[in-house]
Amino acid sequence: MTDSDDDKLLQAARRLNTGIAPQRDLWPDIARAMQAPQRSWWTPLLAQAAAVVLLVGGSSAITYIAVKQPQVPDRQVAPALVFEQVSFGTGYELGDEFVAARNALIKELDVELERLAPTPRAEIQANIAMIQEAIYEINAALEQEPNNTLLQQQLLSAYREELTLLRRVGGLTRDIMMRNDI
Amino acid sequence: MKKLTVIILGLLLGMPLLAEEVDKTLDAAPDGQVDISNISGSITVTGWNRDAVEVTGTLGRNVEELVFERDGDRVTIQVKVPRKGGRGIDADLDIRVPEKSSIDVSGVSADIKVKNVRGVQRLQTVSGEVETESFGNDVSAESVSGDVEIAGDASDTETNISSVSGDVALARGSGIVRASSVSGDVVIDEGTFTRAELDTVNGDVVFRSGLRKGGRFAAETVNGELDIEFVGDVSAKIDIETFNGSIRNCFGPDPERTSKYTPGLELSFTEGAGDGRVEMSTMNGDISLCKK
Repeated sequence: MTDSDDDKLLQAARRLNTGIAPQRDLWPDIARAMQAPQRSWWTPLLAQAAAVVLLVGGSSAITYIAVKQPQVPDRQVAPALVFEQVSFGTGYELGDEFVAARNALIKELDVELERLAPTPRAEIQANIAMIQEAIYEINAALEQEPNNTLLQQQLLSAYREELTLLRRVGGLTRDIMMRNDI
Repeated sequence: MKKLTVIILGLLLGMPLLAEEVDKTLDAAPDGQVDISNISGSITVTGWNRDAVEVTGTLGRNVEELVFERDGDRVTIQVKVPRKGGRGIDADLDIRVPEKSSIDVSGVSADIKVKNVRGVQRLQTVSGEVETESFGNDVSAESVSGDVEIAGDASDTETNISSVSGDVALARGSGIVRASSVSGDVVIDEGTFTRAELDTVNGDVVFRSGLRKGGRFAAETVNGELDIEFVGDVSAKIDIETFNGSIRNCFGPDPERTSKYTPGLELSFTEGAGDGRVEMSTMNGDISLCKK
């Protein structure tokens, strides 16, 4: 390239337009962006991290529960001790307080029965035996199907029936006897 | 002569040991409370249109005393017997009370029969039978080894009726009924109810009555049968389940097995708009559900 060629190029360059105006005014958008509070760069990252932790933690917890639960063996229901809750599950046993209350009522009943004539006494004892036989029968079925809610309900009802009978008989004789100062 | 003297003396000494007739009356409030208790014998209570309580009948030779007293609106009738009990303590009482009276009657080996008493009634005995009528006020009647029978007049009331080895029956009842027996049957007939709760252990349950709109019906037994016949239209969600019995349903749908390994059956469906609730269950008994 000669000196004259350089001159021609420089002259052509000088003829070029030195300022190109944008097709629209961009400044208002730029200013607005600059004035707006800056969004922290780490917020989305933190949200993502939290989501991962939750996901991992949650699934781990579910897995733990799912794995842990089958390890609890189905408890065999003993004839004498059964459910005091009606809804679900295999692990409900009669509480100590229930058993104590029931035993107290049975003891009280024995005293009350002594005051009755032989015929009603025998009938009451036969009916208590009938309820207890039903309880035993339901328990036997529950051993085969521990989660059967119908059986659980039936068992609850049978226990309730037994308690009602114990209370009613005790109450009847006691109230009437006391009334008459026997 | 000596023999005659001995006989006369014996008769004179023996007189207190004979049964005593009783006939007493007290003024009473027209709608007061009458409490009656009698260990052994019978108690018949009849409502009448006089503001007085009358007691007639016989007292056994060993009855110590008949307490018959009024305190305000309350009249008390008690047959007092020796603490040790024994023979000769029977009393057969025929009692008339103002017909709007409320009564509380209790006995041990005593039958209880009530007629035309329109107030609240509470009747309980151990080995006797109970028979009464209800007239729109609550009735609670229970026996241990006797039958219990109530005849309603179709006015709304709350009726509690129970026995242990006896049958219980309510005819023309209305409103709310709770009925139970262990080995006896429960029979509810010709009534119409907003709520009915019926249960037995070995006895059967027979229900031939109406269930009102929005009403609740529950029947449960272990070894008895449920024979349910609703009179009139039924609008309810219906759930039936048995562990080892059959289900007969006249409403349409057939029951399904609860499991392919056990004989249990269940049936759930909605009849009409389904605004009431019907629940029935047995362990070994059969269930029949129909309408009339």
